[in-house]
Amino acid sequence: MADLKLENLSKRFSRKVWGVKKMDLSVKDKEFLVLLGPSGCGKTTTLRLIAGLEEATTGNILIDGVDITDTPPRKRDISMVFQSYAVWPHMTVYDNIAFALRFKHLSKAEIDSIVTETADMVKIDNLVKRYPDQLSGGQRQRVALARALAVKPKIFLMDEPLSNLDAKLRVVMRTELRAIHQQTKATTVFVTHDQSEAMSMADRIVIMKDGVIVQIGSPDDVYFKSTNVFVAGFIGMPPTNFFTVEIIHEGTDIVLKHPFFELKLDNERKSMLYDYSKRSLTFGIRPEDITITSEKNNLLKERALVVEPQGSLQIIALKIDDKIVKLVSAREHTVFPGDMLFLTFKQNKLHFFDIDTGERIGDL
Amino acid sequence: MKKELQRNLVRTARTTTLYILVAGVAMVILFPIYFLVTMSLMSDFEMYNEWPLPMLPSFSMSFKLQNSQKGYLLSIYNKVDNTYLDMLDTNDTGYIINFVKRKTNCTLTREKLNEIIEELKNNSKVEFKLRKNFLLNYTLFFRLKKDAWPAFLRSIYTAVVTILISLSIGGMGGYAFSRYFFKGKNFLKLGVLFVRMFPAVATAIPAAIILGNMGLYDKPIGLAFIYSIGSIGLTIWITASIFLSIPVELEEAAQIFGTSKAGAFWHVTLPLALPGLAACAMYAFIGSWNEYAQAIILTQFNPTFPVVVFEYVLGATGMAHLATAGGMTLAIPAVIFYLFIRRYILRMWGGVRV
Ligand SMILES: Nc1ncnc2c1ncn2[C@@H]1O[C@H](COP(=O)(O)OP(=O)(O)O)[C@@H](O)[C@H]1O
Ligand SMILES: [Mg+2]
Repeated sequence: MADLKLENLSKRFSRKVWGVKKMDLSVKDKEFLVLLGPSGCGKTTTLRLIAGLEEATTGNILIDGVDITDTPPRKRDISMVFQSYAVWPHMTVYDNIAFALRFKHLSKAEIDSIVTETADMVKIDNLVKRYPDQLSGGQRQRVALARALAVKPKIFLMDEPLSNLDAKLRVVMRTELRAIHQQTKATTVFVTHDQSEAMSMADRIVIMKDGVIVQIGSPDDVYFKSTNVFVAGFIGMPPTNFFTVEIIHEGTDIVLKHPFFELKLDNERKSMLYDYSKRSLTFGIRPEDITITSEKNNLLKERALVVEPQGSLQIIALKIDDKIVKLVSAREHTVFPGDMLFLTFKQNKLHFFDIDTGERIGDL
Repeated sequence: MKKELQRNLVRTARTTTLYILVAGVAMVILFPIYFLVTMSLMSDFEMYNEWPLPMLPSFSMSFKLQNSQKGYLLSIYNKVDNTYLDMLDTNDTGYIINFVKRKTNCTLTREKLNEIIEELKNNSKVEFKLRKNFLLNYTLFFRLKKDAWPAFLRSIYTAVVTILISLSIGGMGGYAFSRYFFKGKNFLKLGVLFVRMFPAVATAIPAAIILGNMGLYDKPIGLAFIYSIGSIGLTIWITASIFLSIPVELEEAAQIFGTSKAGAFWHVTLPLALPGLAACAMYAFIGSWNEYAQAIILTQFNPTFPVVVFEYVLGATGMAHLATAGGMTLAIPAVIFYLFIRRYILRMWGGVRV
């Protein structure tokens, strides 16, 4: 059980390519931390730096306050599940799991009991005599997991372990991994590019972009208080809808003016934008915060373009100012493509972002 | 029902044709080898007096001895023509014994001959059968060519050293090519192949001078160095592609789970690369074991076995059965090596998949 600290950690691959840039991060004991970001943002690099497979260009890595930046991987007390599983094809499942234990000078009986216990935990106890090429992808994944669990590491690293599984198994494994974490309480850094995976599993999410941390926070934080346009657009399925609007002062009122609608702000939001000096901004609204209403108090009206039924919900896509806007509504009354919809926004769910920097305005 | 029968017939016809084709190809490949093996077990008589050449060497020979004006007339049974051929008319019994051995690879003891001569006093002819000494050609070859056995040992030594050098250096090179990026990598990679463009005989002359300067001329170790140069290139290419096919993550996982970089290579990469390394060993072995063009130039008093066999084949008019025995002796270690290494090479195509 341990905490992990990254201080000013950088990895530069070449003059122009940074894997990770000046990263500061601290992972608490027993925490399940998820690194989330699009492909190529430096998640794997971060994990490999922690594991010691990649040499840091600058900065330090500390486990329990001990600097391990220059320690070889085998002495770091970490274990890792690779995206490709990386189970050794010339060893049986048993030998794969026992590999690390044999270097620890444990007795045969001890090794045997640990292997049996971990194989049990990930439900592959009936497969230990097989070779990896006699296993399915999901089973290999479990072998990789068992191998990593068996050493009882201080830090548990996982690099997109679920991305090669089929959709159904992926969801099952999410739950199972969380359950295993409940049981082992190992400090975990979990990498994924799948925001829904991150949302459903993380204690805290670290969102990365281009080798830099953009936001750190609980799943609710990153969802409801996205720190900038990138996060708001990355988190949520379908993602946040963005509009570029002009701010117009009409007497004491503030109105957001868009070619298709004019939105008069309530007092709370008015005070938030009162001192904002620029004449336009980006505002965002999540699909579930656009509501279908009656004709008389509508903000804008538009015909539905595409309707995707999702069981009790439906995702409706429509075109506003040549941009696709998506909204989610309950299936109480089913909408069909071509239906005219009267829409309004939930005032308390509006997100404002600076038009140039994309940073969030106000902290509500 | 009829259609099914028809389909079955077509299928049978197709497989039969395929088998005939495969068998035909196998025959073409195997026939020279078959003749080499059988001829090496035949005696001079079988080789030169029985025509067409028998398909199988015989285990025993039949003789007939008669009284003649000179003394005794020895005839040998020709199993192709089903007749006795008169071979020798002499009264020198020592010569008869010698002749039987040389001509038929059978041992006629003096006691046996005396017995037969005794019998001849009452009969006009005596027929007798002698067991053939099956491997006599081989012992004879080594006895006639005094330098064959030392040359054989030298060849084994050379081959082993060649394998060790080309596998260790070539393997390391292949690993470097597959795992690291460095300047001029592609240039180097093509370079090692470029070396092979030059005929071995041509490069042997400068090689002789270099070895002479190093004091390694006419020594097996020097020869092994030269052979290694050729096989290192190929080894680099084969092992590089083998190592490339082994994901780096497998090594990295080993590093995380308790071992060093070298340990990861030893525990993970090496076992997985074994089939490829075995194939390389095979190439290196054959390249060294069967080579004589360079060996002729690079050795003088200490030739390798192929050189000895080559010289013998060239000089052995009317001794084809001994020459084939020499040729077989050249082939046998290669075959043994092949049998030994076979299971590793097979793993490359079946078994463990990376
Ligand atoms: N070995 C390497 N050499 C050069 N560039 C690399 C190397 N590994 C990763 N990169 C670069 O570093 C960036 C981050 O990569 P990575 O950490 O693998 O991203 P992620 O795992 O988030 O998809 C990418 O731009 C990638 O091209
Ligand atoms: Mg990655």
